[in-house]
Amino acid sequence: MDPLVSVRNIVKRFAGTLALSDVSFDILPSEVHVLLGENGAGKSTLMKILSGIYEPSSGEIQLGPDTYPRLTPTLSKAFGIALIYQELSVIDYLSIEENLFVGMIPTHRVLGFPVVDGAFMHRKALETLKRVGLDRNPRTMVGELSISEKQQVEIAKALASDARVIIMDEPTSSLTDEEVQSLFKVIRELKAAGIGIVYISHKLREIPQIGDRVSVLKDGRYVGTFDARTTPTGTLIASMVGREIESSRPDRDNAQRDRRVLEVEHLSSVDGLVRDVSFELFHGEILGFAGLMGSGRSELMEVIFGARPRAGGSVRLNGRDVTVRSPYHAVKAGIAFVTEDRRRTGFFHNFSVAENISIVPFLREARHQVSLERVDLAQQEAFGQRYVELLRIRCASPEQNIVELSGGNQQKVIVAKWLAADSDLFIFDEPTRGIDIGAKSEIYQIMRQLADAGKSILMVSSELPELLSVCDRIAVYKEGGIAQILDNRDATEEGIMHIATA
Amino acid sequence: MTPSLPNAVAGKPARSVDFSSLWQSYGTMSILVLVLILSSILSPDYFLTKSNLIQILVQSSVMVLLACGVFFTILIAGIDLSVGSMLAVTGMVTAKLMIAGCPFWMAILLGGLLLGAVLGAINGALVNITQLHPFIITLGMNAIYRGLTLIISDARSVFGFDRRFINGISGQVLGVPVPVLITILVVLALWFLAQKTKLGRNIYALGGNAQSAWFSGINIKLHTFIVFVLSGICAGIAGIVTTARTGAAEPNAGFGFETFAIASAIIGGTSFFGGRGKITGVVVGGLLIGVISNILNLMNVQSYYQQIVMGALIIVAVTVDKLFTRKR
Repeated sequence: MDPLVSVRNIVKRFAGTLALSDVSFDILPSEVHVLLGENGAGKSTLMKILSGIYEPSSGEIQLGPDTYPRLTPTLSKAFGIALIYQELSVIDYLSIEENLFVGMIPTHRVLGFPVVDGAFMHRKALETLKRVGLDRNPRTMVGELSISEKQQVEIAKALASDARVIIMDEPTSSLTDEEVQSLFKVIRELKAAGIGIVYISHKLREIPQIGDRVSVLKDGRYVGTFDARTTPTGTLIASMVGREIESSRPDRDNAQRDRRVLEVEHLSSVDGLVRDVSFELFHGEILGFAGLMGSGRSELMEVIFGARPRAGGSVRLNGRDVTVRSPYHAVKAGIAFVTEDRRRTGFFHNFSVAENISIVPFLREARHQVSLERVDLAQQEAFGQRYVELLRIRCASPEQNIVELSGGNQQKVIVAKWLAADSDLFIFDEPTRGIDIGAKSEIYQIMRQLADAGKSILMVSSELPELLSVCDRIAVYKEGGIAQILDNRDATEEGIMHIATA
Repeated sequence: MTPSLPNAVAGKPARSVDFSSLWQSYGTMSILVLVLILSSILSPDYFLTKSNLIQILVQSSVMVLLACGVFFTILIAGIDLSVGSMLAVTGMVTAKLMIAGCPFWMAILLGGLLLGAVLGAINGALVNITQLHPFIITLGMNAIYRGLTLIISDARSVFGFDRRFINGISGQVLGVPVPVLITILVVLALWFLAQKTKLGRNIYALGGNAQSAWFSGINIKLHTFIVFVLSGICAGIAGIVTTARTGAAEPNAGFGFETFAIASAIIGGTSFFGGRGKITGVVVGGLLIGVISNILNLMNVQSYYQQIVMGALIIVAVTVDKLFTRKR
């Protein structure tokens, strides 16, 4: 079968750095071609070349029968290449059907004037929504939809523009397992209709489920193409990172069951999203929180951190009461919160790495919430150097702006700011979301070291394999409370899902 | 943005030593120098005289005072549109207190500084309670404070108060006009606060990302409140200086000044999106406006045309800034 699109020997240089070096890649009709690689491996660059945003330094791109040295966004769109970004680009305050036809609103002539053809738009929208399995009135505002529904709208948008190749950038990163399955169903139907799909993902276990071929990029180089169904995960990881990463369960039993470090009793929130939660944590232990999205795990963590109004209950840490009423008091009490969305609630885009790290320790050391004490620049520099080294944060220098770092390194900076504040209780909410596998294992390692050093660690994650490989015990969360706490050795993915959905 | 020079010195990859970062550090300053040179060519006999330059500094001082307060509100991604009216209220109340028999120093403390702080506190409290954008709150409060001034003064100028107040503030110390001296002291204090203290650091953090600030333990309401109090105090000081310099408290004092105060901050490189900007830039921005206004006067340009030039300057300055500064 002739490929729909193929790129050959693409090289892309940015001022000083080589983003892609001699990469070739093709997409067949009715195929899901998975593109795998760590952050910074060149996946996004390759996709931007395909969508005509970047101009390759050399190489060629073939669309159907025609060969081009470079594409333009118009050319790429005209051929039928559609890109669905991880951060969805639908417009919340337009209806579904308006979103589908943004930039190509159908018109007909009324009294000689071009007027929006609402009836046609509605009909075509209904038809397209049916293809992606979205059972919604096309006149619904997109702002009212869930993330997975918005994603369906994005796919429908691609179909409405007669896409032949759809590129999906980490489409499952914020979907529940159930939503992932329905996305896969849609993808299979697209395949059946002859559409070629490029599927970018970090989630290795999805690959045999949905992929046909996997191509791996590493540091801008093409490593190889494998059969998605039969290639063992270990082989893929090894080719991605150039080394094997062990992802076994914690084999050690460091938890000292006689030393209670954290006691949470009858904690509830004013808004009712957290209902009478009690649990305890032992020395050297990591407690994971599994559950469906929206079950209230993040909300529980926010109550512990004082960021969400508490209706009742208490938190004790190493024998002292740390029931706090605001994040400021949490910081003072030694509670650290690595939030789920580092861009929105984690870092400061206007600060350097060192400034991001020192903000929390400076606050904790200060005598009052508002402090006229001088900022100790020598200490700030020391923090920067110490944690860049300790956590192996890859940056030009601690003075570099944080937005220039990769997601994994940004996450390490956020962990560093809580380490620098000498926190005792660490809450990690989805600590590895959107970061590559190498950085993930480094984050796990940091968490283990913290636990070994006697820090209390709570971890919320939607990735069960991650919970199983990091946590000593797993609390399965359901509708605002803990349904059951499992020992790691008794826990399986199926078992957890069973409890969470029962 | 990227602090590039230290990297270059340390021999690290110097990829960000480029025009964009140079522009950020010295852009407005170089335009000011350019305008100074141009002005001395346009008005060779008069512009560079000592008395004219002092005149520029004195005239700019009120604007710089207001701009320093507004700067902090823009730094937290807000705005303060009420500075012109706060100037009027405080200037008027200071004058009224003196006429009522208050010693001038007490009038300054109560009618100028304390009242300024209270007016700013009202702005800050309303922003915190209503959670509305400061644009809306201070737009409303601007009208309310102006109305208060008119009621207090019965829409008439107030004069005939303590001469020591007027002579003291419009006089000189060691050859430096007192308004300039006051402005320098305020600028130094605020520069220290913004750049050197934890309070300043937390205000930058709040401006960069309020959500991150909240989840890092910063009390964002308290810091927002303080920022508006600072703006009120700056307006109060500007009110005292204005009343002393004119020798009378005018009900229309400071009318429309917020435009130029905001312009000074923006021209000086303060980001409207919050988190970026420096007091030093604001001072340069305020001086730039002062110099341009002065040269237009010297060249006998009608004040109507001056308005047009000022308006165009704001747009050009920010456009040029945007062109030269890569937005990430």
